[in-house]
Amino acid sequence: MEKQSAFNIHPMDQFIIDPILTGESLEWYSFTNQALWMLISLVSISFVFIYGSRKHQLVPGRLQSIAELLYFFIRDMIIDIAGQEGLRYFPYIFTLFILILFGNVLGLLPYSFTYTSHIAVTGFLALSVFIAVTIIGFVKNGLRFLNLFWISSAPLTLRPILLIIEVISYFVRPVSHSIRLAGNMMAGHAVIKVFAGFAGALGLGAIAPIFAITAVYGLEMLVVVIQAYVFTILTCVYLNDALHPGH
Amino acid sequence: MASTSDNSAVGMPQLDFSTFPNQIFWLVVFCVVLFAIVKLFIIPRMEDIFANRRKIIDGNIAKAEEIRLRVSEIEKLIEEELQKAKSQCDEIMNTSGNNIKEQMALALEDSKIATAQLINEAEGRLKELRDGSEAAIEKMSEELASEIINRISKGR
Repeated sequence: MEKQSAFNIHPMDQFIIDPILTGESLEWYSFTNQALWMLISLVSISFVFIYGSRKHQLVPGRLQSIAELLYFFIRDMIIDIAGQEGLRYFPYIFTLFILILFGNVLGLLPYSFTYTSHIAVTGFLALSVFIAVTIIGFVKNGLRFLNLFWISSAPLTLRPILLIIEVISYFVRPVSHSIRLAGNMMAGHAVIKVFAGFAGALGLGAIAPIFAITAVYGLEMLVVVIQAYVFTILTCVYLNDALHPGH
Repeated sequence: MASTSDNSAVGMPQLDFSTFPNQIFWLVVFCVVLFAIVKLFIIPRMEDIFANRRKIIDGNIAKAEEIRLRVSEIEKLIEEELQKAKSQCDEIMNTSGNNIKEQMALALEDSKIATAQLINEAEGRLKELRDGSEAAIEKMSEELASEIINRISKGR
């Protein structure tokens, strides 16, 4: 399909949702390449967390170290940001984190599919965080949750203006939360693909594009972890707002 | 917008809303499964490992604390013993010093008496000797005189 001309680069092709089992038509239940990679990340997570630490070692081995590192990293993060009450929501946040982290990292494998590069996925996750946090805020604090928007430390004349700003920023949260992750993933993968296209066009002399791919790939290794971290830490921050409103 | 078959993408496949129900369906399925795995396997396991480690570390710390206490107790005992021994030693030193002084004084007295006695004795003997020698000289000179007289009278 890329044989029409030498410079026929399709950086976005890697994001196409492809029903790999049922063939042509995409129904809501069709098993797609995206679902396959979610399954692979599920298996990888089980491998690291269940197989890797099956021995319950006192002094952890390699896999168990990774599992413990991730687990206590998120645990400590929640305690740091949202306090001890935040620990109640640890299973949800941890699920979110490893789902995104493994999706991002596995997406760096050649020929893989990055499900976190899809706005539908990140948007759904961000929206569920948004809705959950809003519900928690109202359930825990009742109408005092609205203090989040009424900044009592600001001068009275400024408060209505700040109210508008705060309300807008509150409702923009799921948008920025999801687009930040999906955008980062998509951009990195598209850039790699573009350079790969150059390399394909140049053939054997493609030293510069391959060097660029290597560099971008190294950068992406950082970005995938950082974005998973950012998504999770923002979730914690929003949770903290819900648990302790009022600045 | 984007195709679902083997054609290349037009624009961004991410914005192909016809794929959204499918994506969200599978996402929800895997989220639920993953949450179950986290809740049922990962968290109990990690907490178990952590609790075990905590227990062992706490046990070791408690044991170390116990040992430390005992060591300080023993140290105190040693200190006490040392103090006791020191005072005892001081006492012994004091008493023995006094004893020695007393004995020395006694011995000095004794020796003074003994020397005085010896001197007396020696003086007595010296006197005796002197007297003895005077008598002997007298006797000898008498003998010598009579001998001389004998010789002289014989020679004539």
